[in-house]
Parts: sequence; structure tokens; C-alpha cells
Amino acid sequence: MSTEVIKVNINSKEFEVPKGARLIDVCRDKGFDIPSFCYYSDLALQASCRMCLVRIEKMPKLQTSCTIICTDGMIVTTQSEEIEKAQRSMLEFLLANHPLDCPVCDRGGECELQEMTFDWGGLEERFIEKKNYAPEKYLSPMVANDPQRCILCKRCTRVCDEWMGEDAIEAGGRGANTVIGTYGGWLDCSQCGNCIEVCPTGTLLDGTYRHQARPWELAQTISTCSYCSDGCEMSLGSRAGELMRIVARDRYVNGHNGEFLCIKGRFGHPFVNHEDRLRTPLIRYKKGGKLIPATWDEAIRYTAEKLKAAAAAYGPDALGVVGSPRITNEANYALHKFATEVVGTKNYAATDAFSLKPFFDNLGAPLATHRDIRYAKTILLIGGEPEELQPLTAKQIRQAVSNGAAKLIVINSVPIRLVEHAAQFIHIRPGMENAAVWALGHSSNETTAAQKMGIEANELSALRQTITETEGDVVIMFGGELNAAAQMIVAQLANSFRADTRRVLLHPLPLYNNSVGAHDMGMMNGAMSVAEMLDATGSSIRALYVAGSFLPEHLRGREEALAKLDFLAVHELFETDTTAFADVVLPAASFAEIDGTFTNNDGLVQRVRQSIPPVHQAKPDWMITAALAAELGKDFGFQMSASAVFREIAERIPAYSGLRYPVLKDESNPVQARYNIVEPRDLSSALNELKQTVAALPDDGEKSNVTPRVGHELFKIGTLTDKVSQFHLLAAGNPRPDTVRVSPLYQITVDAKLERDAAVSGD
Amino acid sequence: MSTQPIQIQPLSQPVNIGDEVASFSPEVEAEIDGHLAKYPVMRSAILPLMFIVQRERGYLDAPGVAYLAKRLRLRITDIWEVATFYSMIYTQPVGKYHIQICKTLSCKIMGEPGITDHVCNKLGIRLGETTADGKFTVSLVECLGSCGTAPMFQIGFDYHENLTTEKVDQILDGLK
Repeated sequence: MSTEVIKVNINSKEFEVPKGARLIDVCRDKGFDIPSFCYYSDLALQASCRMCLVRIEKMPKLQTSCTIICTDGMIVTTQSEEIEKAQRSMLEFLLANHPLDCPVCDRGGECELQEMTFDWGGLEERFIEKKNYAPEKYLSPMVANDPQRCILCKRCTRVCDEWMGEDAIEAGGRGANTVIGTYGGWLDCSQCGNCIEVCPTGTLLDGTYRHQARPWELAQTISTCSYCSDGCEMSLGSRAGELMRIVARDRYVNGHNGEFLCIKGRFGHPFVNHEDRLRTPLIRYKKGGKLIPATWDEAIRYTAEKLKAAAAAYGPDALGVVGSPRITNEANYALHKFATEVVGTKNYAATDAFSLKPFFDNLGAPLATHRDIRYAKTILLIGGEPEELQPLTAKQIRQAVSNGAAKLIVINSVPIRLVEHAAQFIHIRPGMENAAVWALGHSSNETTAAQKMGIEANELSALRQTITETEGDVVIMFGGELNAAAQMIVAQLANSFRADTRRVLLHPLPLYNNSVGAHDMGMMNGAMSVAEMLDATGSSIRALYVAGSFLPEHLRGREEALAKLDFLAVHELFETDTTAFADVVLPAASFAEIDGTFTNNDGLVQRVRQSIPPVHQAKPDWMITAALAAELGKDFGFQMSASAVFREIAERIPAYSGLRYPVLKDESNPVQARYNIVEPRDLSSALNELKQTVAALPDDGEKSNVTPRVGHELFKIGTLTDKVSQFHLLAAGNPRPDTVRVSPLYQITVDAKLERDAAVSGD
Repeated sequence: MSTQPIQIQPLSQPVNIGDEVASFSPEVEAEIDGHLAKYPVMRSAILPLMFIVQRERGYLDAPGVAYLAKRLRLRITDIWEVATFYSMIYTQPVGKYHIQICKTLSCKIMGEPGITDHVCNKLGIRLGETTADGKFTVSLVECLGSCGTAPMFQIGFDYHENLTTEKVDQILDGLK
């Protein structure tokens, strides 16, 4: 949209609007309500519902305002007898086949069609013809479908195509027999449920929440997703202490993700009220003994005593404190404070898959927000697989390419699904992401690196050319494949590509909801990594205090590590491989039960809000840590208030200075942490180090030519997704049940244990 | 009108998309290449290709759809979307003789319902169904552009016009 301003006359009032603005947006922005079903901001136009009709002077008929771009001097009428009559007739047509079964419809009470009918519907229906009958059915374990209620706005097909790039759901049939569906009648997709979200009627419904509650019974709480690092804002619907559902409908929440959520965000919440949640603190008084329920006072006292004893016997550095990228900033901050100020150990870390410390220490450009990605001109993706691990980032990339004509360059050893949107795909040998970064670091490395990666040298120069020809934003993203030196070079790449007309932005792709926050809170500044700590158990590490559990990849090959500890205290929601060795297990509260903040991969600090009271005897992680500190003689001064913890964070951590909970109140105006942008660094040592790494890489790796199956990461069973029955069906290949009339959950039994064994990573 | 106007509902029966992809003889492949060469945008060739697959395989079965999706680089649902739109594209097996009765205005006025009933009664099937011996399928289609000779139907690609029940008997008996 240009900055040029034109004049539009709406309902006899003059307005100045930017050139290129869409009429429906302008009218709504100026306070003239225009009804519509099929119009959806930033999606391809449909103009099928005909509800947004307006009269434009000198145009022969009523026009659909969703398809009109404002022109100078346009005279528009949005309300008149003629328009109202047209709109009322349109609604009558839309309702011609609608069963009007609102009392039994899950959408009743928050349905756009219902609301529109209240405003524009007639008192009685004039159609007496038989309505098209079609039975309710399931399209997948997650998506239920009642075809009769459909008004064919095709929002679902468009989000499936444009947001998800999957095109799994389409309109089939013809004329009055058109139905929304899919080939074979069974959805084989990533099950994001965005079609459910954008449906203005009760046609597509949350299969996991069918007939569970009515919308008006639910208390809506705006919070942040606890799965991946994209940090989608969502609304938790709870009733009587139970989390019923999660949505991102814009009537409840307006985050940077819009109405987008992925399968995990939308459906991965049943762990919150799961019966397996730890109920009380547990103490194992004797190694090899049983975990015995205890009171909080006893558990805190016992833990403090044991930690004190270990510190006295082996020195404070024998105590390790392990934070988690899954818990809030407040919790990680409290753990960091506990490690440095109470215990005085230099051994603390966070259980992340990789550390972002080298990246943030050398940050040479601002972090890209998801909005920046949507409007970027060139996107360079080094490694990673956002469509499985950071679905919102993948959605923004797709929209940038298909709606914004951005150029996507993918460097990956696997033809990931995003490759089909790529202007250039550099297909490297497996494990060669570091070599790609080495080549980007200095053009003289290109020939050697290209040979190593198994590509033509001109592929790299073409990449360089695309970036240097870009006018606008360049976003550089990278996944967890990069080592420390490569991260440093990527963080500094902006310096070599920046120009007057070109802004370079960086976008890390960490795996967890608060990976960035855990880094910011200092949990990654410790002397040892998690793996090193586990290797040192029994020798230099004698006791561990862990929030959350270790990742399966940390424990793989180190199964005995935890058994060698003198003492292990764990905060957890569930019994895990880590709690199996714990001497004390403290029941922590999940994200739905606490106040706090998460920092996403944009650096946006976003609020987590309490939706339900902590289940059983669970407590927020930071409160447990503070209680432990108090027992050890240090008052953290948090006064039982998460906002007090955050105030201290803002005072101590420069990137968060000035932030307070009230500043973070509005989720539609997210606040980015102010990371220090460093002066250009001398990269020669990092390049040298990377050269050694690259030289040591085997150059005979086979490139994979197989695009990974949709959901191969998303559907993996982790500790949390394990608690969602539907995930087991998906992990088992989403089999089609005998009949689609009944939820597949009641028809198919999956051996949950086998599924769990097959999944290798934490969620 | 006694019979409900039921279209052949393609894929109303569940179809499991197997990994099986149809394959064709070099001549057919060459014909397909010829069609693909005609269009600057690949997906434009979807209809001619569907007709070829249908001609070769009788109807658009799962391997045929998989072939089209692969060849045209489209999603399987894109093929489904188009296939279900056209009554000339079959996604279920049809009989040797596919009787497509024109149901649009002129034919309707000139007695299509009677013809339809007669055909169905004679063959003992409902609209959209195929006789047990796999010989006949009956369906209603939109205007076939032969309004001057209504009512009419099409068997295969042959028009039979100015139909009366006697004439229908004669035609059908001739085919048995």
C-alpha cells in the first residue's frame, strides 16, 4: 500500500484513505458496519456471500465492497433501503439449506451466521422446499463436519491453501449439491484446525470438543501457546476449573497470529486437566525406594536440607540447576537467581535442544517479527523445518511468497514442503548447513563449500545475487543445525548484506515456546551445557535441581547419568523418565494455571494468564523456587506475585527494561524485547573454526529426495501430546474408521505404548 | 415426479488413496504430453487429461486420480474438486452404456420425467445406479444442446432425440 492519500465519500462524509485500500476495510475502519461472510483479510477474494453490497455512484448495480479498491472521488452509500433489501434477500438464500439447528450446534452463541441472522434475517422463511440433507460426520479425529450448515463461503478452503499450503479441503460437487470435503472423505493433513476457526457457521467443528460445552459457559482467557517458539496468542476457554478448549477466534483474541493456530496449540491442551497430573509433592526417602506423597512444607524442607548437605560436602559447584525452555520467564529467572544468588553455583543450564547464546551475543540486526516475515521481499531459510516445528513462521513464509511475491531461498538437505514455494532450493548434503553458512560468511569460501555440499558454485552466487538485488526486507532464518561459530556468522550476516534500500532481519527457529526467554533470563550462561552436566553426574555434579524434564535426546546414551546423583529434585506436571530418578518431585502448575510471560522467536514478550486455578496441589515454578530459596535463608521478595518477579526481570535484564505487565496487556500490540545490536565483529576466527568443522564433515552423505510426510514432527507423541487421545490416532497414520459418523476415537484403538516408543523427541 | 433427482455422487463411497499410481502405454503418454504442451499453465490440461484417464480406465479410480495429481503437480483435492463438478467425469464405475438424460428446461417440459421413470423402471435401477450386469448406468445431466428435439438422452456419445417410451424401449432392446 502506498502512502498516497485519496478522498472517498462514504455516506456523505469525506474520508482520506491510503491509495489501494479495500473499500470494505475502509468502511469498517470508519465505523460503517458492513456484513460479510466470505471476506477474510489477507486471503484471496471470493465474493460469494454477497452480503457486503454497497451502492457506488456511477456503477450500475450494487457492488461487493470486498472486491472494490477505493479510487479517488468515489461516492459510496453503505446503508439504504435498497441495500438492506438486497442483504436481507441474500441472507434468506444463504439460509435456504441451513438446518437452523442452533440449539444443538457447538457454534451456537458465537456463530457469525447466527449473529447475522439476528441482524439481517427475516421473521420467517419463505422457502418451503425440502432442504438438502446430509448427515454429520467426522473428517478426521480433529475435524467434525456438518455439511448442511455450510454457506459455501470457502474460507476453509482458502486458509487450507494459502495459510497451510495443503489444499486438503476443497469444495466438491456442483450447484446446490456443492459440499466442502476432501478426496475420499478423510482428511489427511496436518490437522491444524484453522478451517474450524475461520468457519463462520457450525459446519466445521472441533472434533475434540463436540458437545462438551456451550460458548457462553466458558470463561475466555487470553494467553500464549506453550508448544513451539512462534508464541501464538490464543484464548483458553475454561469452565469450573477445567480447560475445555483453545481457540484463536478474533472475537476473543487478536494476537500476531491472527486466527492461526496449529494442531498442538489448538488441540494439545488436554494434559492440563489430565488424571495423570501429579497431585502432591513426592519424596523418595531412600534411593531405589518409592515416591511417597508429602506436604509442601516437608518437600521444600527436605529438598533444602539435601541441597545444603550436597553443597557442604562437595562445594556449591557440585549443584546443578536446570531450567527449561518450556516454563515462563519468571520461572527461569527465579531459577537463575536461585543458582547464582542462593546456591552460588556456576553450573546452570536450560534443557533446550540447542543454545541461542552465540546468536544473541553477536546479534548484528534486529529480530524479524512474524509481520515482518509476511511483508519481507526475500527470505533465506537455512536448515530447519518450520512447517512442522514453527507452523506460524511457515504460514507467514507461504503468505509472503504467494500473496506478497517474496522470494524464498531454502537451504536444506531434505526437500521440505516449503520447497514448493521456493524461488531457489539449494539441496545440500545432510549435515552441511554449517558449510552453507561458512560460504555465506565469505564469498571466497563458495567453491570449496559448494563442492563439500554437493552443489554447483553458481547456486551460492545466485543466492547472493538474489539478496543483493532485494529492495525491502531480507529475513534470514536458521534452524538448530548450526553450531556456535555458524550462529555467530549468521547473526553478523546483516552487516554484509545491509544497504540503504534493504533491511536485514534475523529470525532464529528454536524449538520451544520460551527458548528465547530461557536464554534471556540467563539460563544458558552457565559453565556447562545440559549434556555436559549429565556426563559429569557422580563426579563434579552431585545434585541437580531441575525444572521440567530432560529431553529424550539428552538422556539417550546417558540412561545411567541420573542414577549417579546424590540428589535430584524435579518440578514436573507428570511422571517422566527424569522423575523416575528423582528424590523429590514437586508438582508444577501448567501454563493454563499461572501468570507469567513467554518470549517467542520474534523477541515478543507475551503474557501467559491464569485461566484455571492450579490443579491439585500444583504451584507455579517460580513460587516453588522462591519457597526453596526462603528455606535456604534468602527472601526473593516476590511476595507471591508474578508481576513482582517480572518487575525485577525488567530491572535487571537490559533487553526487558521498562516492561511491566500493564505494558504487555494488549496482545494486539505485542512488545518486542530490545536486544543489544552489537557492532560488526571480526569473524575471521569464527570462519576459521567453521572451516575446520566443514573440512571434517564427511562429503559422501546421500541427499534425501523424499519430502517428509505431513505431521512427521507435529504428530510425534511427547509427554504432553501423549495425553491427547487423538494424537495417538494421528501418530498411528490417521487410519480411516469404518464409519465417519462416529468419532474415530470410539472405533480405533491404538497401542499407546508402541506409539510412545516410536516417537523419539520431546514435544 | 416420483424419482428424486440424484446425481451420480462421485466419491460418495469412501476411496482409500493408495500409493498405487496408474500407468499408461507410450502412445497414451505421448497423447498426454501433447495436451500438456498446449497450455502455458500446466493445470489447464486437467480436463483433457481426465478424459484420457477415464477413457483408458473406465472411470477416475484412485490410481488414475493419483496419476493426474502427480502428472499435473496438483493436490489430490484439486482433482477431486474438478472431477466432482462435471457430470461427464465419472469417479465411480459406469456401465457399458451410460444413459445421460437431459434434465434441463426444454426436455423437462417435453416429458423428461416420464422418460426417466420409464428408463429406470425398465432397467430396474435408480438414477445414478448401474445395472447388476454392469451394462447400463442412468443419470440426469444438464442441457445437451438439443432442445429442438426434446426430450432426448445421450448414450455414450450418441444422441437419441424426440424420445417416446416406445422409442426408448426400441433403443434399449437394441442394445441388449
